Amino acid sequence: MISQIGSIAISLAGGLIFSSFIFLGLFKKFKNQTYLQVAERAILATSYCIFLAFFCLLNELLISNFNLQYVAQYTSYETPVFYKITALWAGQAGSLLFWSFITAFFAVTYIFTTLEKLKTLKFHSYLILSFIFSFFILLSNFIANPFEPVSSDIIVQNGNGLNPLLQNFFMAIHPPILYVGFTGSAIIFIMALAASISKDISFEWVQSIRRWSLFVWTFLSAGIILGGYWAYNELGWGGYWAWDPVENSSLMPWLTLTAFIHSSMIQEKRGMLKKWNFLLATSTYILVILGTFITRSGVISSVHSFTAENLGPMFFAFLAILILYTVFWFFKRKSYLDTPDKIDSFTSREGGFLYNNLILILMCFTIMWGTLFPILSEAWDGNKIYVGASYFNQLNIPIGLVLLFLMGIGPLLSWNYTSKSILLNRFKLPLSISFLSGIGYMIFSSSFQIYVFVAIMGVSFTLSSILGEFYKSYKKQKKASNFIHSLGKMFLSNRHKNGGYIVHIGIVLLFIGFIGRAFEVEKEFSLSPGEQIYFSNYVFKLNSIKSEARDNHYAFLSEIDVVDSSTNQLLVNLKPEKRIYFYWNSDPEKRQPHSELDIYSTIQKDIYSIFSGYDAQKNIGYFKIMINPLVNWVWIGGVLMVIGSLFAFWPSRRDN
Amino acid sequence: MNKVTTSTLIIFVLIAGWVFYLTNIKKDDSLTVRYYSISELASESNDIKKIKVGGYIKPNSIDISENDQLEASFFVYQNNDSVKVTYYGIRPDLFKDDAEVVVSGSYANNLISATELQTKCASRYEGDLKNIEKI
Repeated sequence: MISQIGSIAISLAGGLIFSSFIFLGLFKKFKNQTYLQVAERAILATSYCIFLAFFCLLNELLISNFNLQYVAQYTSYETPVFYKITALWAGQAGSLLFWSFITAFFAVTYIFTTLEKLKTLKFHSYLILSFIFSFFILLSNFIANPFEPVSSDIIVQNGNGLNPLLQNFFMAIHPPILYVGFTGSAIIFIMALAASISKDISFEWVQSIRRWSLFVWTFLSAGIILGGYWAYNELGWGGYWAWDPVENSSLMPWLTLTAFIHSSMIQEKRGMLKKWNFLLATSTYILVILGTFITRSGVISSVHSFTAENLGPMFFAFLAILILYTVFWFFKRKSYLDTPDKIDSFTSREGGFLYNNLILILMCFTIMWGTLFPILSEAWDGNKIYVGASYFNQLNIPIGLVLLFLMGIGPLLSWNYTSKSILLNRFKLPLSISFLSGIGYMIFSSSFQIYVFVAIMGVSFTLSSILGEFYKSYKKQKKASNFIHSLGKMFLSNRHKNGGYIVHIGIVLLFIGFIGRAFEVEKEFSLSPGEQIYFSNYVFKLNSIKSEARDNHYAFLSEIDVVDSSTNQLLVNLKPEKRIYFYWNSDPEKRQPHSELDIYSTIQKDIYSIFSGYDAQKNIGYFKIMINPLVNWVWIGGVLMVIGSLFAFWPSRRDN
Repeated sequence: MNKVTTSTLIIFVLIAGWVFYLTNIKKDDSLTVRYYSISELASESNDIKKIKVGGYIKPNSIDISENDQLEASFFVYQNNDSVKVTYYGIRPDLFKDDAEVVVSGSYANNLISATELQTKCASRYEGDLKNIEKI
């Protein structure tokens, strides 16, 4: 019953969104405001239908209605409730409905908040919104319907259930967070186009689109970082980023959006760079769809496996229309978007933002080039050529280091122009700290790596520059009764600026984590209980290997003493496990081995252990150990980035 | 165009040029690896220094050394063609018959010596209904 309601709701949404096109057409013809209002209501009604369908699917998942193919595929009676809920986006059909659900949520928010203030944008906003909406609803209706029943000749006793390996909290939550970011960028796309087409770029518009951008940016960042965190803690290859096409396609829109957040500040302050900002705002969503096309079409081989049903052609057509539409209006509104003012000095805040933009776009371009290279090279001469991680590292490490320094330089520049003497005065301290730490590295480090050297200088330069800015604004304001109070007042006095600086500190901490990658070491070895091995200043002694049958798996438990060889003290007792899920299955093919990691994590380094195999006859365990310095700084930096951007996003009393 | 915009553009073009130089990657072996389909390999008699191949593990072809569990050989197939692969090291958890794998390494004498072995990671569980009990 509920599933029928859901199914009807999806069909109804399709009809409603179609009708909104008709009413928009009527409005265009007769200029009667009523038609516009009807179109608005059609979009709202579509959204409510999607909400309804979404909750119907949720209900079916929770009550385990295995008459639905989707429910039977991704859940079983044994699936914990939390993972029944997350099954909403575990598969193709569900994730598309989930995408529509978030679109619906944003559509309602956009109509009731942003468009209330910017009434002139209504018509074009509705038009583009309806188009985007109808694409996803079309897919849900005709290609991947989550309410599709199982074929009538079978009765499903119990569902497949979710792969136990995916039953991990971070695995479950990072896709929806990323989806919120992806979907939200559609609103930025709509706003940029609608304002340009209706020639109505106002100050309110800039402020409003900036708020949306910050919101979307927060979710994109959080989604990317959580994905890395999950990969590091669960997948067992010891890293968090592999330059895989799926990862790249989430990073590309992040880069253009980051560029937009900076360059739109110039538009806010001085009304410049309208054309450039238009391109950044629209390309963010286009890159999102490009990424979705890459990941869901199978044109590029990726270790992330996606789906059997091929949505490639659909997404390609959608992508092509978005690009053509954007390009068409860009050229049509070129003269409107032209701004007479030019940036007149290198040493100005605008100049700083401009370099930052160029660097970010360059980074995005190199990543896109590398990601699409297999397609491009195949189209060129028929040879499908992949570029490895070394390509991305070789290009992006130096580019990233320039960006790191720019984050320190930017805050020291004034708007319009900064005179030489002021410049010298402001750069004195951060530069000397930077040089000192560079020299310190040369003295205290046994080996010299140029990138590490530059990165250490960059980190100390940027960190001291930002902290110096904090100190200045702390000194400037009136002293409150105590230190904490006045510090709080200082932070609240300019949320946008201080939030931005917190994000920058977060990114600097990320770079500290990246520096650690230069010092990673790893070793694979085999040990019998009682034996030990020396590696990278530690002694690893295998105490025992035990086995144990648990609820849903069989586990081999190892116990390794890690002794610091310089102090001869026991550091930690690592217990990586080898698990066999479905071990009761008589068919060995259905059994699923899984290496459960054990990580000894400190602020300086992680000792990462994997129990990868066990030879029961000879009683030999196979292990891999990695020493990964500074990894925790990546997560700390990521958290700080999200906190900082929320801080900047949160409305202050003055805004209201 | 004023001075700043022009010089910024010039700097950008220079950097972009450098990137293009680096991305003239077809000639650079350290950055790229050519992807071969298994049917292409079947007709390939020359040795290839760097190679990347995707396919499925042929059922019952996995052979793990008696002496050292890290030593394994197996066949990767696609449609009707297959190629033998040897690999030394820790194998991914999802490595088993019919698993989709991507191997990189070198190719000589109709044999791939893999230095890298990846299974498709289970970021999605697109199970079909084969496990479902039917009546």
